[in-house]
Amino acid sequence: MTDTLPEIIHQPSSPSPDEATERLLTTQSPQRRQVSPEFAVEIDGRQYTAREGQTILDVCRDVGIEVPTLCYEPKLPGFGACRMCVVEVEGEDTPPISCSRDAEEGMVVRTQTPRLREIRKTNLELIFSDHNAYCLPPCQNKCPSHIDIPGFLKANTEGDFVESTRVFKRTIPFPSVLGRVCPAPCEDHCRRDEVEEAIAIRDSHRYAGDQVLKAQAEGVAPPLPFDQQPSTGKRVAVIGSGPSGMSAAYYLALSGHEVTVMERDPDPGGMLRYGIPEYRLPKERILAAEYQGVWDLGVQLVTGVELGTDFSIDDLQNEGYDAVLVAIGCYDTNKLGIPGEDADGVIDGLEYLRIATLGLPYPDHKGKRVVVIGGGFTSMDCSRTSVRQGCTEVTLVYRRDMKDMPAADEVHEMLEEGARAIFQASPTRVVVDKHDKVTGVEFQRMALGEPDASGRRRPQPVEGTEFIIDCDRVLLAIGQGPQLGWLENGAEGIEKTKRWRLDADAVTFGTGRAGVFGAGDVRTGAATVVEAIAEGRRASYAIDAYLQGQDLEEIRTRQTLAEPQPEFLSIVPYTDEVKHPRIRLRAMPAEERNDSYIEYEIPYTAQEAMAESARCLQCTCEAIGYCDLRRQGIEYGTTLQTLEPKRTGISFRSVSENRFTGYNHDYIRDDSHAFILREPSRCIDCGRCANVCREVVGAACYDFMRTGFDTLVTTPLDMSLNTTPCVSCGRCAETCPTGALMPKPRVLEQYDVDESRCILCGICVDACPYDALRCGPDFELAHESRAEPQIDLLAIADIERDSELSYVRKERDWLSQAQAGGRDFPQERLLPVLPAGLAGNGKTSTGNGAGDTPAGGAGGGAASIHHK
Amino acid sequence: MSLPILDGGKDWPQVLLARATEGKLPDIEAAEAKGAWEAFRKATGELSPEVVLHTIAESGLRGRGGAGYPTGAKWRDCVTQPDPVHYVVANGFEADPGAQVDRTLMELDPQAVVEGTAIAAWVVGAEQAIIAVSSSAPVAAERLRVAVEEAEARGYVGGDADWRSLRIEVREVTGSFVVGEETVLLRALEGQRAQPDQRPPHPSRSGLWGKPTVVNNVKTLAAVPWIVAHGAGAYTSLGSAETPGTTLVQLGGVVRKPGVVEVPLGTTVRQILDGPGGSVQGSLKAVLVGGPTGGFLPPDGLDTPLTYEDLGQAGAVAGSGTLLALDESACLVEVATLMTRYLNDNACGKTIPCRIGTRRLAELGAGFCSGHVRPRDAELLSELAADVHDAALCGLEKDAANPLLSVMRYFAPEFEAHSVRGECPAGVCQPLSLAGAASS
Repeated sequence: MTDTLPEIIHQPSSPSPDEATERLLTTQSPQRRQVSPEFAVEIDGRQYTAREGQTILDVCRDVGIEVPTLCYEPKLPGFGACRMCVVEVEGEDTPPISCSRDAEEGMVVRTQTPRLREIRKTNLELIFSDHNAYCLPPCQNKCPSHIDIPGFLKANTEGDFVESTRVFKRTIPFPSVLGRVCPAPCEDHCRRDEVEEAIAIRDSHRYAGDQVLKAQAEGVAPPLPFDQQPSTGKRVAVIGSGPSGMSAAYYLALSGHEVTVMERDPDPGGMLRYGIPEYRLPKERILAAEYQGVWDLGVQLVTGVELGTDFSIDDLQNEGYDAVLVAIGCYDTNKLGIPGEDADGVIDGLEYLRIATLGLPYPDHKGKRVVVIGGGFTSMDCSRTSVRQGCTEVTLVYRRDMKDMPAADEVHEMLEEGARAIFQASPTRVVVDKHDKVTGVEFQRMALGEPDASGRRRPQPVEGTEFIIDCDRVLLAIGQGPQLGWLENGAEGIEKTKRWRLDADAVTFGTGRAGVFGAGDVRTGAATVVEAIAEGRRASYAIDAYLQGQDLEEIRTRQTLAEPQPEFLSIVPYTDEVKHPRIRLRAMPAEERNDSYIEYEIPYTAQEAMAESARCLQCTCEAIGYCDLRRQGIEYGTTLQTLEPKRTGISFRSVSENRFTGYNHDYIRDDSHAFILREPSRCIDCGRCANVCREVVGAACYDFMRTGFDTLVTTPLDMSLNTTPCVSCGRCAETCPTGALMPKPRVLEQYDVDESRCILCGICVDACPYDALRCGPDFELAHESRAEPQIDLLAIADIERDSELSYVRKERDWLSQAQAGGRDFPQERLLPVLPAGLAGNGKTSTGNGAGDTPAGGAGGGAASIHHK
Repeated sequence: MSLPILDGGKDWPQVLLARATEGKLPDIEAAEAKGAWEAFRKATGELSPEVVLHTIAESGLRGRGGAGYPTGAKWRDCVTQPDPVHYVVANGFEADPGAQVDRTLMELDPQAVVEGTAIAAWVVGAEQAIIAVSSSAPVAAERLRVAVEEAEARGYVGGDADWRSLRIEVREVTGSFVVGEETVLLRALEGQRAQPDQRPPHPSRSGLWGKPTVVNNVKTLAAVPWIVAHGAGAYTSLGSAETPGTTLVQLGGVVRKPGVVEVPLGTTVRQILDGPGGSVQGSLKAVLVGGPTGGFLPPDGLDTPLTYEDLGQAGAVAGSGTLLALDESACLVEVATLMTRYLNDNACGKTIPCRIGTRRLAELGAGFCSGHVRPRDAELLSELAADVHDAALCGLEKDAANPLLSVMRYFAPEFEAHSVRGECPAGVCQPLSLAGAASS
């Protein structure tokens, strides 16, 4: 470069275009020293090399040490507002912030110490104490299957029940079934509860699913959550057609695998069919109809075959199934372990339900006095079915308190129907007559002691409190375990756990034998339907990965090392004046439903369903996944405790978790701008947008407004962004570490393009982030409706924008190519490229062949071009 | 309306207020008759900048704005910067709303401030100096302007040749409490957003417009001519051995004679209250030393000497130089809470610990006042105060918890009276009585 420079200067004639551009490049290149002095610094006990002028943060980023930042914008010097990047430097009392502190020779830096973590944690808690916004909605977090609850409720609000069902089916294939039998853990954590009452989430998807089933009865196919993939040619056997097996079958079939479901009973459904009474889940109208969606995908069903008796795992693998999923559930009722348990009249609750749910009256049940022992859903079903079958006296006895009962929600309905309940009592023996026939059960009162592992207080017997309840029959519903006899035969390599469960991994669902997986109750022990479905779906992903030849061990490691699924962040509650109470499902009167098996709850009307869904606060943040604040909140443990005792009915409120809860701001969303969505309640006042807008863009739309606690980075006087010099460049949204500034999701109906007025300027082509408009031979325009544009922030940020320099380079390349191709082009084309005074001293006339003629420089100078 | 100047007695030497005459407009002739600009002529005529710098360093003069950084070291740091352009900024903003110390000095002896600024500029080689005054002190600004014009007329500054080309500008600055912080003041002078910058780099390396800048309090600069005229040894003989010299203190509250007095450093708070203050009316409960970011001293802590280190250990700061004596009618929890709230309201809102943290501190204090106290609140207050202090960007933030912390330290029973018994000993607050609520 230095060799050629004097030549250019002394050249009397106009330089070649290449030289002119070179000069421009040289002039405009940043005059940065290429080599800065290097020195050693110690960071976290290791020696690194730093260069002069680097901040501590620069050095850390260079060597890959993670120092958290919120306000640091890489394009600008350190700002120092968030105080997250504090580090300890040996010999200094107060920790400096690494973004604004130059590294010095011999500096000893520590980036992770208990004190630093404490400071950062306090900072984050302070932010959250004035952060009137949500990340993931807690309902979605609490759902074992993580359904996109705000998503389907939004669709419900718009009356689009098909879309609602489609969203639902992305995680659970059976909205109507779950709408009846799910214990709805989501509703316990709904934030609407802080306004007045939780949303009726379960009843809402029940309604949407029912609408799809209605349409299905008229021949309209139910929506698919994803397109079914072309056949992979792999065969999967799913053993068990319960909720777990069937959801696995559904998603495996969607992934293009050939699935066969093996079922022991004459009809598919497992516990859904043989464990849950008709009045809670209509078998033909709902269960069979919703299962039809699975068969429609090409899933085959074989009934009447039982694992262990009719076939073994060996058999299946020998038959050429590439993968086998064992999802046989739990069917062995636990034993009480008390005298008289085998007496005549002591009945297995599941056996009883099995007969009852087939619609048959249990033999000789009418007119009997029944004691049901247990506190789960099975005990509830036993009690309520016994009432319906005409028992004169039904008594449910549970050893813990009512609030610790897994099926606590259903108790009041059971009582309404005429059963009675006794809590804190445990059976000690079954009283029998001389024919070994049940005449009663002796119970002992239980006192509640210290909380156990499940968070419920452990019941302890109280001596001398025995009492006897006279009865004719005893129904046992104290939990179930899986039947694992089949392990003995043709299932080598598959083990059971100490707790008598199928030994399968919690992440990959793999057993000890390649290609054999286990999911659902058989793996976890008896649990809820929604947990079983979540297991089945996740197992289907694992099996799909296995069939694609991926390394499951590697996936498992990744999953284990991955961030823990966060609880919702400790943020301030929603405070709205307007109250809309929950719309409840009405039920038939107890007298009517007592002797009826038809569904006792009366569903919503369409208006009710839409109104109920509209109560949803739509807690999901659009920035979820991009939010630095959330990531650091997770890292520094400012989220809620994850160790929530299961099924206690006690829901932790987020507010008490934050040490610094106090007065907080509730700002109004500004969606007046066409491209930028402003949600000031999510703003953490880091100032990045203000600095970038002023220093990089030059528009200065934002600044710090007001003082003290009320300071907010916003537009002048909080006005619409439209009133500022905004150029819609989106840099503010790009730099925002939270969701306070977002590219606005836009629902484009249709563009009206008046092509007669188009001047082919190409600006729309440059601006369109989707390539919907592009320069074709004839400048094609796409007229497409985009119901849900997925704006990928990171992808947009990664788009390489032209700098002045790259533009000149591009122009130069284009020029040389054009010349090489012998193309003729108008001289004016180059005018804006090279500024006056830099383009040499000549201006060629608009013709060809005049390139070497020195001219007077009239017109402000243009590049000289040689035509060959 | 200026506060009266109090007589410290003949044992207390006069440096800063030696020429001040109350009730008389200052003018350069009268001032020169008493020795004004002599030091400047001596320095520029006979001495070299290096000698003057050495004298200042020897004298042990430290920043009177509150931080107490050695002035000589600050100037030297500025001088040694390779950048040829340097600035001097005299900080007369005096942010503390109750303080009139700097204003009194600037109004009564503006020549001393201007001369000190000129000497500082000559030493560090600055061609431009700014005296920043709060726009709520228009008299001081006007008198400083007149003083600068007079000095220009005499040819001390503002000439064309050599160092005489120094321009001194008096600028009135509007803004909240935080503008008194040096980096904020510099941004405000630049016309930028009034927010602090991270130090280091200190302004002596990168200050106004990014150039090496000496920022000194006007009290510091006003002492410079005296030191140059009388020599470093004369100054070190004043005050205490470790912290020589004098400073200005404002007495207020329940003292019999409120006003401004010049005291040698190292004097105890008790000596100041009893001497020029004319003792306390009624029974003294506490003395707030240093304004909103200062701390409360209990009656048995009044023997704390007025030095940076001793005050710091006692939980107070030299700060604005105010001593506010409070009697039993004041509720210290309430006063401390109001101070914290004042600081939060006046914060620039840049950093998280300050914008939200000091607000939460004030809310915790207000909780004590109203009796809404959670079991861990006292502990939480200390934890938060420590975290805010360590994560602080500027002095306001760093010292924001001082009032509350000092009350917790010396007046813990008063906190307990509010939170446990539901009583305000001073009868100011009406805390909710938990004990009463439980028994009824």
